[in-house]
Amino acid sequence: MFKSTMLKLSYLRRAFLACAVLFGSMTQAEPMTGLGKPITDAELVNWDISVFFDGEGLPDGSGTLEQGEAIWGTKCAMCHGDFGEGVRGYPKMMGADLEEFQETAINNGFNVENRGLNNMWAHAPTLYDMIRRAMPYFLPQSLSADESYAITGYTLYLAEIIEDDVELIDADFLRNLEMPAANLFYTDTRPDVQNTRCMTDCFEGELDVTGKLVQGDFSGGNE
Amino acid sequence: MSDRKSDELEHVDNALTDRRKFLRNGVAAVGSVATGAAGSAVAAEPLAIPQTNKMLGRPVVHAPYGLPSKFESKVLRRNVEWLTPDATASISFTPLQDLHGIITPAGLHFERYHSGAVDVDPEAHRLVIHGMCERPMQFTMDDLRRMPSHTAVHFLECPANGAMEWRGVQMDSVQFTHGMASCSEFTGVKLSTLMEYCGVSADSTWFYAEGADGSGLQRSIPLPGARDQNGNPLTEFDQNEIHKDVLIAYAMNGEALRPENGYPLRLVVPGCEANMSIKYLRRMKFTNKPLVTYQETRHYTEVTDDGRIRQFTLVNEANSVITYPCPDKHMSGKGFYEIRGLAWSGRGYIKGVDVSTDGGKTWREAELVQPVMNKCFTRFKIPFDWQGDEHLIMSRAHDDSGYVQPTLKQLRDARGTNTIYHKNSIQTWRIEQSGEVKNVQINNA
Repeated sequence: MFKSTMLKLSYLRRAFLACAVLFGSMTQAEPMTGLGKPITDAELVNWDISVFFDGEGLPDGSGTLEQGEAIWGTKCAMCHGDFGEGVRGYPKMMGADLEEFQETAINNGFNVENRGLNNMWAHAPTLYDMIRRAMPYFLPQSLSADESYAITGYTLYLAEIIEDDVELIDADFLRNLEMPAANLFYTDTRPDVQNTRCMTDCFEGELDVTGKLVQGDFSGGNE
Repeated sequence: MSDRKSDELEHVDNALTDRRKFLRNGVAAVGSVATGAAGSAVAAEPLAIPQTNKMLGRPVVHAPYGLPSKFESKVLRRNVEWLTPDATASISFTPLQDLHGIITPAGLHFERYHSGAVDVDPEAHRLVIHGMCERPMQFTMDDLRRMPSHTAVHFLECPANGAMEWRGVQMDSVQFTHGMASCSEFTGVKLSTLMEYCGVSADSTWFYAEGADGSGLQRSIPLPGARDQNGNPLTEFDQNEIHKDVLIAYAMNGEALRPENGYPLRLVVPGCEANMSIKYLRRMKFTNKPLVTYQETRHYTEVTDDGRIRQFTLVNEANSVITYPCPDKHMSGKGFYEIRGLAWSGRGYIKGVDVSTDGGKTWREAELVQPVMNKCFTRFKIPFDWQGDEHLIMSRAHDDSGYVQPTLKQLRDARGTNTIYHKNSIQTWRIEQSGEVKNVQINNA
């Protein structure tokens, strides 16, 4: 009795699987129709505002540093500081100059607070894209294309990447501007470390073990 | 202190100076350590009849959407207030110490916002697919739910997981050292289904995805043939493997996505830094070059100790951590324990996890709990007899690519201590004679 039930179940399961395979292949053969609607570029003018590193996607328009300075005072300075120094924890515009930035990194000094437009932004059009889509932080996508050019220019001026004699910031200007950090970037090649599965006698001698650091002791014996 | 804070997660070292505040807030506080001996033979009073045996309980639909027991009220996402200048561009951590199996309950999935969580109306929401394709299309949520569906379980991990620990121990808590990772069952449409439907060109080597939130977050995702902005190829894995598992998901753990996780639609890029899994997904454009967005130059890049900046570090390499015992869950007396933990790899399947209880001098292979799945949390366990001695316990995962999880020293030697992201080194906990469990680092092995 028990055995025959098992057989029956096994038979049913096989039959079911066969059906599933057949049904599966039949559903695959059905064409996907009636789903979605074609869309044209004209319908995407408000959506497709992305700007590539090389400037592709930068809109028509322009702005001046004076316009940028005025907008900065009302919409940016409360977080990024009057001089772009960063306040209340928000990012600064000018970080350490390249030499100091790299030296700190090589010496394993703490460099997070050194970061700015002049050492970690490889392409000026990227800056425009970020400002146009996500700034000011409390009111994103409220700046016009022209205002975004003006502000982009002013941040570049605050970071001392451009001088105050620049007359007009537009697509061509940003496309052709060489950013100080442009050549610092390289693409991931990990894995960069190779551990092995040692199982016994993996370490001899005294382990250097540190726990939570004492308040104010930044070295902690780790370096 | 607050005026010293800088950009979002990056001012991790401020955590060192602000730790006192952290402790005052009691976030790291742990329960007292029980020391009672088990198996006492002294005769005791008979067990009382539980009060719940003598009462009528609550009716059905008392809680139309059920909540955990009131006794589990401390199992919560937590954040570190001083870590970021603003809670709308911040992160919360999953309480890994309280979870079992491999699925993270939706309400405990870690959160990461760049401009806060938003409520997107699914009726009005559209997904646009355009760029290098024959048929640029817009889809409603209904269109997407009608398409051939795909379900898979994957982990999502912020690349900043563990970032606070590069320069030394800061967090006596697995929630804060490893809780920027969660694992869920996702259901949606495979990228390949949509690519085929829209007739994406074989010449397209990248696409980028964009969100409908205030940050308008956008990330570039490689396809076969992908090269960076300087013409250099991405690794073979990045070019050829990442896109295969990509999912456009509308459901998570059996229900619609939660707003915190991108409702009504998100990209899921399994195995990769979760910043790429764009929430509130509204647009995907197929291209032949990366955007190189803010996220891809200033933010999710790594300053290595050669003075250069490494970009497109997309994959989360194999990682693991012991979730019990841990600084959040101390020993409760001598005797039997099952050391348990989680392992995961962005390159594929976890092949094994080794556990050491002597600081890495000897290792034993732990048992992997089924199911073991691609780019998914894998639970491991191994029995442990604790007789009140001090132990340094650690886990070391390896995956089917042959990669073995590295030591902290190996990572520091290779990268320095300023890289912030992708810290996947072996984690050590110290079981002390008192039964307390502490976060420690081994610096020379």
